[in-house]
Amino acid sequence: MTRLRPQSLLRTTVKGMAARKARLALTGLAVVLGAAFIAAALVLTASIRSTVDDLNGAAYAGVDLLVRPVEPETYGERLVREGVSAETLAAVEASDGVERVSTTVSWMINALDDNGKVVGGFAPTSAVNWGDESTDRELREGRAPETDGEVAVSAKFATDSGLGLGDTVTAYSMTSDKTEYAIVGVYGYPGGRDSLSGGTELAFTTEEAQYLVFDGRDVYSMVAVHAADGTSGAELLDALAPAVGAEAETVTIEDYSAEMSAETAEITGVIGNFLLGFGLVAVFVSVFLIANTFSIVIAGRLKEIAMMRAIGAGRGQIVRSVLAEALILGALAALAGTIVGVAGGAGLTSAVAGRLLDSAQVSVAIPPSAVIAALAVGIGVTVVSALVPALRASKTPPVEAMRAAVKADKPITGVTVTGAVVTAAGAAAMALGLTGSLGDRADLAGVGIGAGLVFVGVTLLTAWLSRPLVAALGALWSWSFAGKLGRRNAARNPRRTAGTAAALMIGVTLVTATATLLTSVKASLTDYFQDNVKAELFVTGPLTAAVSPSFDPAVMDGIREVEGVDHAVEMYYDLADIDGTEQYVNATTDFAGIVGLFGGTVAEGDDGALADDEIAVNAWAAEDLGVGMGDTVTATFSRGTEAREFTVAAILDDNENTDGWYVAATYTDEFYTTKPTMALIDVADGGDVAAVTAAVDGLLANEPEVSVQNHEDFVAEMTVFYDFAIIAIQLLLGLAMVVAVIGVVNTLVLSVLERTRELGMLRAIGMTRGQTTRMVTVESVTIALFGAILGIAVGVALGWAIQSALVETGIEVFAVPTALIAGYLGAAVLVGLLAAIAPAVRASKVDILAAIAYE
Amino acid sequence: MHHTDHQRSAGAVPRNPEHRNPRHTDTFIESESVVSTASPVKTTAVAAQGVWKAYGSGEAQVVALRDVSVEFASGAFTAIMGPSGSGKSTLMHCLAGLDTTDRGTVIIGDSTVTGLGDKALTKLRRDKIGFIFQQFNLLPTLTAEENITLPAAIAGTKADPDWVKRIIHTLDLTDRLSHKPTELSGGQQQRVACARALATRPDVVFADEPTGNLDTRSGTEVLNFLRTSVDDFGQTIVMVTHDPTAAAYADRVVFLADGQIVEDMADPTADSVIDKMKHFEELVAAAQEEAA
Ligand SMILES: Nc1ncnc2c1ncn2[C@@H]1O[C@H](COP(=O)(O)OP(=O)(O)OP(=O)(O)O)[C@@H](O)[C@H]1O
Ligand SMILES: [Mg+2]
Repeated sequence: MTRLRPQSLLRTTVKGMAARKARLALTGLAVVLGAAFIAAALVLTASIRSTVDDLNGAAYAGVDLLVRPVEPETYGERLVREGVSAETLAAVEASDGVERVSTTVSWMINALDDNGKVVGGFAPTSAVNWGDESTDRELREGRAPETDGEVAVSAKFATDSGLGLGDTVTAYSMTSDKTEYAIVGVYGYPGGRDSLSGGTELAFTTEEAQYLVFDGRDVYSMVAVHAADGTSGAELLDALAPAVGAEAETVTIEDYSAEMSAETAEITGVIGNFLLGFGLVAVFVSVFLIANTFSIVIAGRLKEIAMMRAIGAGRGQIVRSVLAEALILGALAALAGTIVGVAGGAGLTSAVAGRLLDSAQVSVAIPPSAVIAALAVGIGVTVVSALVPALRASKTPPVEAMRAAVKADKPITGVTVTGAVVTAAGAAAMALGLTGSLGDRADLAGVGIGAGLVFVGVTLLTAWLSRPLVAALGALWSWSFAGKLGRRNAARNPRRTAGTAAALMIGVTLVTATATLLTSVKASLTDYFQDNVKAELFVTGPLTAAVSPSFDPAVMDGIREVEGVDHAVEMYYDLADIDGTEQYVNATTDFAGIVGLFGGTVAEGDDGALADDEIAVNAWAAEDLGVGMGDTVTATFSRGTEAREFTVAAILDDNENTDGWYVAATYTDEFYTTKPTMALIDVADGGDVAAVTAAVDGLLANEPEVSVQNHEDFVAEMTVFYDFAIIAIQLLLGLAMVVAVIGVVNTLVLSVLERTRELGMLRAIGMTRGQTTRMVTVESVTIALFGAILGIAVGVALGWAIQSALVETGIEVFAVPTALIAGYLGAAVLVGLLAAIAPAVRASKVDILAAIAYE
Repeated sequence: MHHTDHQRSAGAVPRNPEHRNPRHTDTFIESESVVSTASPVKTTAVAAQGVWKAYGSGEAQVVALRDVSVEFASGAFTAIMGPSGSGKSTLMHCLAGLDTTDRGTVIIGDSTVTGLGDKALTKLRRDKIGFIFQQFNLLPTLTAEENITLPAAIAGTKADPDWVKRIIHTLDLTDRLSHKPTELSGGQQQRVACARALATRPDVVFADEPTGNLDTRSGTEVLNFLRTSVDDFGQTIVMVTHDPTAAAYADRVVFLADGQIVEDMADPTADSVIDKMKHFEELVAAAQEEAA
């Protein structure tokens, strides 16, 4: 028996591939996407790190060590800034080996723009001291601040605030009152940057900066130490220990730089992980796409393969020839993907650096791991995906070459049974987890693993599900005969339809599950508020603000006068030390009002006004500290210098809204935020909420930090993060759609090719071009909708399961994101329509004579 | 051996005049005498006038049809024969509006096919023409019944149920209606194709070697049906075939050679066709001489 030489097989493979360029290119595109996202993620992370290192290197040129205050452990105390004292500074300056020192005073403050609103959203505004010899700031206009009433502002602040040289800016901190400063200079940073990390900055004299940041104490945020020639940073580190003492700590500039990169890496890590996730989803989806394409290609080459078997090619050779094709395709696609990914990662670094660091200078790092990972994943996934079709091809008996072309489709029983078993196992795990049969931690894990299994199981069941679902979808097109034919074509090869629809299904499942969960979280919060909080309106500011938003308590008088307001009460807030533990303390002039409006009830004692030395507490907190009615507790507030004694005068029933401790508004001067941070407004029954909102809005005209919000606004404010998450996750859908379009085009082009005769016959007996186009379009849209509907069903189910598992954490409401789901269906139709264009045109242009000519 | 085979097949042909519709017997007699001349009492279903068709250009040009003029009477069964490459399929395609002519005119019923656009041609094929191809006639996704009513469905109309029932009955397909093509034998598939071709009562049915892929028995069934549809339903049929036995089912045989009609034989029998084919070379030579 003669055996074909491998070289000749490879040559056949390459020739065959050249003939199928377009198809392979489409298939490879999915791999390109996957590899590109992976490479981009890794390049981005590495590049940002090296960019941050470079920037730090430039900013601290010549600095060897930094002396900074020891960060206190507890959150409460840290609210009032610690600093390096003037004595320590003097001791360090006088130490041997120190050439000179420079000081930094820096912390977040609020400054108002030309409309009286607080400047900045996510990126903070800082107050700094200009210092004697600022190397890292470059004046662009005017001069440095020389007196306490002067300020130089960063270029970004000037842009954001609309203020400039010669204007007056109002600034204040946690400890200072609103003060007006004359802008005498505008500055940038080395490298032509407008900001250091996207934030805005105001530079004062050292004394004024200390007034704003440290409440006037003569301390510094950081002291930069330049070592004398011949002294290394490490040597100096030990030498300075006695001078620095226990109140401060010394770090080398290298360590500090590493800390900074780590901080940035945390942010870029999120972006990187996001990209990585995209890459993995693209890769997962490509598995179906590649397996599908290879199956179809092999189906078309069955005779050729059988012929090769007949003339002596071994099974292994057939597998190898298919895998060789996969390897070549995978390598080309992975290479292209890596190049695109590296370029994209570099581009993204510029964008991220521009926004996050406000740096035009980027140092792109291409770690070998990025290239290796992208190539390995791209090639690996292609070859592995082609394995099943290759093995199936190798089983082709040589007699197949002599048989007639028409064959019944291979049964899908094996995959279906596996899918059913996996789905059942997943459902069982989820059921066990949801019923709490696995014990605390294992329950959640059970639900999670179960959800994953169900996902994989249903993916395997797609082929089986395609029959009934596609038939049901057919009802949509039953009015059109071309539509009917298209629908039947979609149902014709369940394996192929399923493989094609899977791409969209996976994306839609992930997106729907996430959106369902996040929507449920929002709905739960909203419901909770509706049910528990009596107040209709809130006066409050953004939770993301650098300086806790607060307002002048005097506006409360005005609010209480507004027609329709039944009750209005303000609230102060502090994280205080009570009996040696950190506790949330609310101060109010109207204890009964707060409890009532938050829907709380008093269990013991009465809800009358609290006396100066009385304290009320939620039952949980009381239990925690082991205190009861009439007991005495000592409390030290954030700014407080002495401990105050209180007697427990009331205990509230457990209620999350009235958690913590309550005191009279006597010691609010000792609170971290000395002004009220929130007000609750109860509109009288039948009152005009809109009118009250407008009136209160007017009263808050001079309160830049807060605004009036209703329940919805308030919940929206609290859940703003979820909104971002929902939007971000939708990007995944975009990716899934791109891959889905590729998959559907691929399948349809191949199907149209396979059905050329049929199409020719149909055209011969009178089917119009338009009908042919419609037929292919319906097939395309049906496949896409099938994928989307399956994805939505599984996604909602998984979202529900996870929500159920999290009921105890307060996510009690199950909400379906209907608008988004409608959007997904629309997206699926769009995918179907887009994917149909090329194949439909091709089908409608089939040459009738060529199609019906017998070979 | 060869000879007896033909005789046996010929014996199976239902040439019993009782089965014939009297009107069509007239037609038959008339078409027997003069070719291409329409009689005032019978109508012409399909006509070609001076049709030329060439493929390719320059050196590689192949003239598939040279100045072909032919008429096919309504209610008649005509076979087109000729050696491979003589232009049979090309002629049929031009007549059926599947291909365009270079010169000349094709008329089906009262409409001129030549010069029609794709839309009009498609509509013409759908409404006035039935097709039976050698193979791949049926849509695998549809049942036999759905395949039969396919042209009507494409047109968005409903096939006359009584008529369809009658065809199905004649073709003995009644208990195969819900089967998919893959569940039918080749002969059954061709019978379904026949039923489909007739279901819309087209002006003419074109069949290109409808029995080419069938065994003798299945082929005979199909040919019997075509004969019956002419006799009983007055259907017009134009069939391309290589098989003298199949041609013997027709009322008339038109011989093509080198893109020209070289012979027009009425009331053929298998023997007369074979006889004609034996002397074919001479016919072709004569035709070529005439052309030159
Ligand atoms: N699409 C085409 N391109 C070029 N030449 C063609 C084409 N179709 C047919 N021909 C040529 O035209 C001539 C007539 O072809 P046609 O198919 O009509 O012959 P036929 O009589 O049907 O032959 P057969 O009995 O083999 O089916 C042949 O020489 C053929 O090679
Ligand atoms: Mg032919």
